Amino acid sequence: MISDLIFMNGYGIYVWLSFVITLGMCSAIYVKTKKTLKKYEKEFLHELRNLSEQEKRKVLQKSKILNQISTTNREVI
Amino acid sequence: MFNFLLPSRIYLLIEKTLKFINSVFFPILLIGLTFALVISPPDYIQGDSVRIMYLHVPSAWIGLACFASMAFLSILNFIFKTKNFFLINKSLAPIGLLFTCLAIITGSLWGKPTWGAFWVWDARLTSMMVLMFFYFFLILSFKFIKDQDKLVKVSSLITILGSINLPIIKFSVDWWTTLHQPASISLGKSSKIDPSMLYPLILMLLVFLLFSALIFLMKYKTEIIRIKKKRIKSL
Repeated sequence: MISDLIFMNGYGIYVWLSFVITLGMCSAIYVKTKKTLKKYEKEFLHELRNLSEQEKRKVLQKSKILNQISTTNREVI
Repeated sequence: MFNFLLPSRIYLLIEKTLKFINSVFFPILLIGLTFALVISPPDYIQGDSVRIMYLHVPSAWIGLACFASMAFLSILNFIFKTKNFFLINKSLAPIGLLFTCLAIITGSLWGKPTWGAFWVWDARLTSMMVLMFFYFFLILSFKFIKDQDKLVKVSSLITILGSINLPIIKFSVDWWTTLHQPASISLGKSSKIDPSMLYPLILMLLVFLLFSALIFLMKYKTEIIRIKKKRIKSL
Protein backbone atom coordinates (compact mmCIF):
# COMPACT_ATOMS: atom_id res chain seq x y z
CA MET A 1 0.00 0.00 0.00
CA ILE A 2 2.69 2.52 1.04
CA SER A 3 5.07 1.46 -1.75
CA ASP A 4 2.14 1.83 -4.21
CA LEU A 5 1.64 5.36 -2.94
CA ILE A 6 5.34 6.18 -3.25
CA PHE A 7 6.12 4.57 -6.61
CA MET A 8 2.68 4.97 -8.29
CA ASN A 9 3.49 2.37 -10.95
CA GLY A 10 6.59 4.26 -12.11
CA TYR A 11 4.92 7.70 -12.18
CA GLY A 12 5.84 8.51 -8.55
CA ILE A 13 8.85 10.65 -9.44
CA TYR A 14 6.74 12.96 -11.68
CA VAL A 15 3.74 13.11 -9.33
CA TRP A 16 5.71 13.66 -6.11
CA LEU A 17 8.05 16.16 -7.76
CA SER A 18 5.02 18.16 -8.96
CA PHE A 19 3.50 18.22 -5.46
CA VAL A 20 6.82 19.04 -3.76
CA ILE A 21 7.59 21.90 -6.21
CA THR A 22 4.06 23.29 -5.81
CA LEU A 23 4.18 23.14 -2.00
CA GLY A 24 7.70 24.60 -1.99
CA MET A 25 6.87 27.54 -4.27
CA CYS A 26 3.60 28.28 -2.43
CA SER A 27 5.34 28.13 0.97
CA ALA A 28 8.13 30.43 -0.28
CA ILE A 29 5.69 33.08 -1.54
CA TYR A 30 3.63 32.78 1.68
CA VAL A 31 6.70 33.30 3.90
CA LYS A 32 7.99 36.19 1.77
CA THR A 33 4.59 37.95 1.70
CA LYS A 34 4.08 37.52 5.45
CA LYS A 35 7.61 38.76 6.20
CA THR A 36 7.10 41.89 4.05
CA LEU A 37 3.74 42.59 5.73
CA LYS A 38 5.26 42.25 9.22
CA LYS A 39 8.15 44.52 8.19
CA TYR A 40 5.79 47.27 6.99
CA GLU A 41 3.54 46.90 10.06
CA LYS A 42 6.57 47.24 12.30
CA GLU A 43 7.86 50.29 10.42
CA PHE A 44 4.41 51.88 10.46
CA LEU A 45 4.03 51.40 14.21
CA HIS A 46 7.55 52.70 14.75
CA GLU A 47 6.65 55.91 12.84
CA LEU A 48 3.51 56.24 14.94
CA ARG A 49 5.36 55.65 18.20
CA ASN A 50 7.87 58.35 17.34
CA LEU A 51 5.13 60.99 17.23
CA SER A 52 4.27 62.98 20.34
CA GLU A 53 0.97 62.10 22.08
CA GLN A 54 -0.66 65.20 20.63
CA GLU A 55 0.53 64.49 17.09
CA LYS A 56 -0.48 60.86 17.42
CA ARG A 57 -4.00 61.81 18.51
CA LYS A 58 -4.26 64.32 15.66
CA VAL A 59 -3.07 61.79 13.08
CA LEU A 60 -5.43 59.07 14.31
CA GLN A 61 -8.37 61.46 14.39
CA LYS A 62 -7.75 62.66 10.85
CA SER A 63 -7.36 59.28 9.22
CA LYS A 64 -9.86 56.47 9.72
CA ILE A 65 -7.58 53.90 8.11
CA LEU A 66 -4.56 54.83 10.26
CA ASN A 67 -6.82 54.44 13.26
CA GLN A 68 -7.85 50.96 12.09
CA ILE A 69 -4.27 49.87 11.41
CA SER A 70 -3.16 50.99 14.87
CA THR A 71 -6.25 49.37 16.48
CA THR A 72 -5.54 45.99 14.89
CA ASN A 73 -1.94 46.20 16.17
CA ARG A 74 -2.80 47.72 19.57
CA GLU A 75 -0.73 45.24 21.55
CA VAL A 76 2.39 46.41 19.69
CA ILE A 77 1.89 50.15 20.31
CA MET B 1 -18.71 55.24 -7.54
CA PHE B 2 -16.27 52.69 -6.13
CA ASN B 3 -16.29 54.08 -2.57
CA PHE B 4 -17.09 50.65 -1.14
CA LEU B 5 -13.56 49.64 -2.19
CA LEU B 6 -11.87 52.34 -0.14
CA PRO B 7 -9.17 50.86 2.15
CA SER B 8 -10.76 52.51 5.21
CA ARG B 9 -14.00 50.65 4.51
CA ILE B 10 -12.49 47.23 3.92
CA TYR B 11 -9.43 47.15 6.18
CA LEU B 12 -11.21 45.48 9.11
CA LEU B 13 -12.94 43.11 6.68
CA ILE B 14 -9.49 42.12 5.33
CA GLU B 15 -8.37 41.34 8.89
CA LYS B 16 -11.43 39.16 9.57
CA THR B 17 -11.18 37.36 6.21
CA LEU B 18 -7.46 36.64 6.77
CA LYS B 19 -8.25 35.08 10.16
CA PHE B 20 -11.06 33.01 8.67
CA ILE B 21 -8.91 31.71 5.77
CA ASN B 22 -6.04 30.91 8.16
CA SER B 23 -8.40 28.83 10.29
CA VAL B 24 -9.92 26.76 7.45
CA PHE B 25 -6.99 26.50 5.02
CA PHE B 26 -4.99 23.61 6.50
CA PRO B 27 -7.91 21.21 7.07
CA ILE B 28 -9.11 21.82 3.47
CA LEU B 29 -5.53 21.42 2.15
CA LEU B 30 -5.17 18.07 3.95
CA ILE B 31 -8.53 16.81 2.61
CA GLY B 32 -7.61 18.02 -0.90
CA LEU B 33 -4.21 16.30 -0.83
CA THR B 34 -5.75 13.06 0.49
CA PHE B 35 -8.26 13.01 -2.35
CA ALA B 36 -5.67 13.99 -4.99
CA LEU B 37 -2.95 11.53 -3.92
CA VAL B 38 -4.84 8.61 -2.36
CA ILE B 39 -8.60 8.43 -2.86
CA SER B 40 -9.00 9.46 -6.54
CA PRO B 41 -8.50 6.55 -8.97
CA PRO B 42 -5.70 6.31 -11.56
CA ASP B 43 -6.67 7.02 -15.17
CA TYR B 44 -7.20 3.98 -17.41
CA ILE B 45 -4.65 5.27 -19.96
CA GLN B 46 -2.39 7.72 -18.09
CA GLY B 47 -2.30 5.75 -14.84
CA ASP B 48 -1.22 7.62 -11.70
CA SER B 49 0.38 10.46 -13.68
CA VAL B 50 -3.15 11.90 -13.95
CA ARG B 51 -2.77 13.05 -10.31
CA ILE B 52 -0.65 15.95 -11.64
CA MET B 53 -3.91 17.26 -13.14
CA TYR B 54 -5.06 18.26 -9.62
CA LEU B 55 -2.22 20.81 -9.52
CA HIS B 56 -1.83 21.67 -13.19
CA VAL B 57 -5.44 22.52 -14.10
CA PRO B 58 -6.32 24.77 -11.11
CA SER B 59 -2.94 26.53 -11.47
CA ALA B 60 -3.59 27.30 -15.13
CA TRP B 61 -7.15 28.50 -14.39
CA ILE B 62 -5.96 30.85 -11.63
CA GLY B 63 -3.05 32.14 -13.75
CA LEU B 64 -5.49 33.03 -16.54
CA ALA B 65 -8.19 34.36 -14.21
CA CYS B 66 -5.72 36.70 -12.47
CA PHE B 67 -4.58 38.20 -15.77
CA ALA B 68 -8.16 38.55 -17.06
CA SER B 69 -9.16 40.34 -13.80
CA MET B 70 -6.12 42.59 -14.03
CA ALA B 71 -6.89 43.52 -17.65
CA PHE B 72 -10.51 44.29 -16.71
CA LEU B 73 -9.40 46.44 -13.73
CA SER B 74 -6.84 48.24 -15.91
CA ILE B 75 -9.59 49.21 -18.37
CA LEU B 76 -11.74 50.40 -15.44
CA ASN B 77 -8.74 52.33 -14.12
CA PHE B 78 -8.30 54.07 -17.47
CA ILE B 79 -11.96 55.11 -17.40
CA PHE B 80 -12.57 55.93 -13.71
CA LYS B 81 -8.99 56.73 -12.54
CA THR B 82 -9.48 54.80 -9.29
CA LYS B 83 -6.15 54.20 -7.55
CA ASN B 84 -7.51 51.17 -5.77
CA PHE B 85 -7.69 49.17 -9.00
CA PHE B 86 -3.96 49.69 -9.42
CA LEU B 87 -3.36 48.44 -5.86
CA ILE B 88 -5.52 45.36 -6.54
CA ASN B 89 -3.56 44.67 -9.75
CA LYS B 90 -0.26 45.05 -7.93
CA SER B 91 -1.43 42.53 -5.32
CA LEU B 92 -2.77 40.09 -7.94
CA ALA B 93 0.32 40.01 -10.19
CA PRO B 94 2.59 37.79 -8.00
CA ILE B 95 -0.26 35.28 -7.53
CA GLY B 96 -0.80 35.13 -11.29
CA LEU B 97 2.92 34.68 -11.93
CA LEU B 98 3.20 31.93 -9.30
CA PHE B 99 0.30 29.91 -10.70
CA THR B 100 1.31 30.43 -14.34
CA CYS B 101 4.82 29.14 -13.50
CA LEU B 102 3.29 26.22 -11.59
CA ALA B 103 1.02 25.38 -14.55
CA ILE B 104 4.07 25.32 -16.85
CA ILE B 105 6.27 23.29 -14.47
CA THR B 106 3.60 20.72 -13.52
CA GLY B 107 2.51 20.54 -17.18
CA SER B 108 6.09 19.82 -18.14
CA LEU B 109 6.33 17.06 -15.50
CA TRP B 110 3.03 15.63 -16.77
CA GLY B 111 4.22 15.90 -20.38
CA LYS B 112 7.27 13.68 -19.90
CA PRO B 113 5.43 10.42 -19.07
CA THR B 114 2.46 11.28 -21.35
CA TRP B 115 4.11 12.76 -24.49
CA GLY B 116 7.67 11.59 -23.92
CA ALA B 117 9.05 15.15 -23.63
CA PHE B 118 9.19 17.81 -20.95
CA TRP B 119 8.61 20.57 -23.49
CA VAL B 120 7.29 20.93 -27.03
CA TRP B 121 6.74 24.21 -28.91
CA ASP B 122 3.04 23.53 -28.94
CA ALA B 123 0.55 26.44 -29.30
CA ARG B 124 -0.91 26.04 -25.78
CA LEU B 125 2.48 25.73 -24.07
CA THR B 126 4.02 28.59 -26.02
CA SER B 127 1.08 30.93 -25.36
CA MET B 128 1.27 30.08 -21.62
CA MET B 129 4.96 30.96 -21.72
CA VAL B 130 4.08 34.29 -23.34
CA LEU B 131 1.62 34.91 -20.47
CA MET B 132 4.42 34.20 -17.98
CA PHE B 133 6.60 36.83 -19.70
CA PHE B 134 3.79 39.39 -19.49
CA TYR B 135 3.60 38.72 -15.74
CA PHE B 136 7.39 39.16 -15.53
CA PHE B 137 7.29 42.50 -17.37
CA LEU B 138 4.47 43.65 -15.13
CA ILE B 139 6.28 42.79 -11.92
CA LEU B 140 9.49 44.35 -13.24
CA SER B 141 7.57 47.55 -14.00
CA PHE B 142 6.21 47.58 -10.41
CA LYS B 143 9.73 47.20 -9.12
CA PHE B 144 11.66 49.63 -11.30
CA ILE B 145 9.32 52.47 -12.36
CA LYS B 146 9.29 55.01 -9.53
CA ASP B 147 7.01 57.66 -11.07
CA GLN B 148 3.51 56.65 -9.94
CA ASP B 149 1.57 58.10 -12.92
CA LYS B 150 3.97 56.54 -15.42
CA LEU B 151 3.78 53.21 -13.54
CA VAL B 152 -0.02 53.13 -13.67
CA LYS B 153 0.05 53.82 -17.43
CA VAL B 154 2.80 51.29 -18.21
CA SER B 155 1.29 48.51 -16.08
CA SER B 156 -2.19 49.10 -17.52
CA LEU B 157 -0.75 48.98 -21.02
CA ILE B 158 1.07 45.69 -20.31
CA THR B 159 -2.08 44.04 -18.90
CA ILE B 160 -4.33 45.28 -21.72
CA LEU B 161 -1.79 44.18 -24.38
CA GLY B 162 -1.29 40.85 -22.58
CA SER B 163 -5.02 40.22 -22.50
CA ILE B 164 -4.88 39.67 -26.29
CA ASN B 165 -3.00 36.48 -25.44
CA LEU B 166 -5.83 35.12 -23.25
CA PRO B 167 -8.21 34.02 -26.05
CA ILE B 168 -5.16 32.62 -27.89
CA ILE B 169 -4.39 30.42 -24.85
CA LYS B 170 -8.03 29.36 -24.49
CA PHE B 171 -8.65 28.50 -28.13
CA SER B 172 -5.12 27.40 -29.12
CA VAL B 173 -6.16 23.75 -28.77
CA ASP B 174 -9.09 24.30 -31.16
CA TRP B 175 -7.38 26.59 -33.71
CA TRP B 176 -4.18 24.57 -34.16
CA THR B 177 -3.22 20.90 -34.12
CA THR B 178 -1.63 20.55 -30.70
CA LEU B 179 -0.35 17.82 -28.42
CA HIS B 180 -2.24 19.42 -25.57
CA GLN B 181 -5.69 17.95 -25.09
CA PRO B 182 -8.82 20.13 -25.57
CA ALA B 183 -10.78 21.35 -22.53
CA SER B 184 -12.54 18.59 -20.61
CA ILE B 185 -14.52 21.00 -18.46
CA SER B 186 -16.38 24.02 -19.76
CA LEU B 187 -19.05 26.26 -18.32
CA GLY B 188 -22.56 25.38 -19.46
CA LYS B 189 -21.59 21.97 -20.84
CA SER B 190 -21.55 18.64 -19.04
CA SER B 191 -18.10 17.60 -17.83
CA LYS B 192 -16.15 14.88 -19.65
CA ILE B 193 -14.40 13.97 -16.39
CA ASP B 194 -15.76 11.25 -14.12
CA PRO B 195 -17.05 12.58 -10.75
CA SER B 196 -14.39 10.49 -8.94
CA MET B 197 -11.80 12.82 -10.51
CA LEU B 198 -13.92 15.95 -10.87
CA TYR B 199 -14.59 16.35 -7.10
CA PRO B 200 -10.90 16.16 -6.08
CA LEU B 201 -10.18 18.66 -8.88
CA ILE B 202 -12.80 21.07 -7.49
CA LEU B 203 -11.42 20.54 -3.98
CA MET B 204 -7.87 21.38 -5.12
CA LEU B 205 -9.22 24.43 -6.98
CA LEU B 206 -10.78 25.55 -3.69
CA VAL B 207 -7.44 25.04 -1.90
CA PHE B 208 -5.62 27.14 -4.52
CA LEU B 209 -8.31 29.84 -4.45
CA LEU B 210 -8.09 30.08 -0.65
CA PHE B 211 -4.30 30.32 -0.91
CA SER B 212 -4.60 33.02 -3.59
CA ALA B 213 -7.04 34.96 -1.40
CA LEU B 214 -4.63 34.68 1.54
CA ILE B 215 -1.68 36.02 -0.47
CA PHE B 216 -3.81 38.68 -2.16
CA LEU B 217 -5.15 40.02 1.15
CA MET B 218 -1.70 40.09 2.76
CA LYS B 219 -0.25 41.89 -0.29
CA TYR B 220 -3.15 44.35 -0.41
CA LYS B 221 -2.79 45.04 3.31
CA THR B 222 0.95 45.64 2.80
CA GLU B 223 0.22 48.13 0.01
CA ILE B 224 -2.30 50.01 2.18
CA ILE B 225 0.15 50.22 5.10
CA ARG B 226 2.99 51.27 2.78
CA ILE B 227 0.93 54.19 1.43
CA LYS B 228 -0.40 55.22 4.86
CA LYS B 229 3.07 55.08 6.37
CA LYS B 230 4.22 57.69 3.85
CA ARG B 231 1.27 59.89 4.79
CA ILE B 232 1.81 59.88 8.56
CA LYS B 233 4.30 62.73 8.35
CA SER B 234 2.30 64.72 5.84
CA LEU B 235 -0.85 64.70 8.02
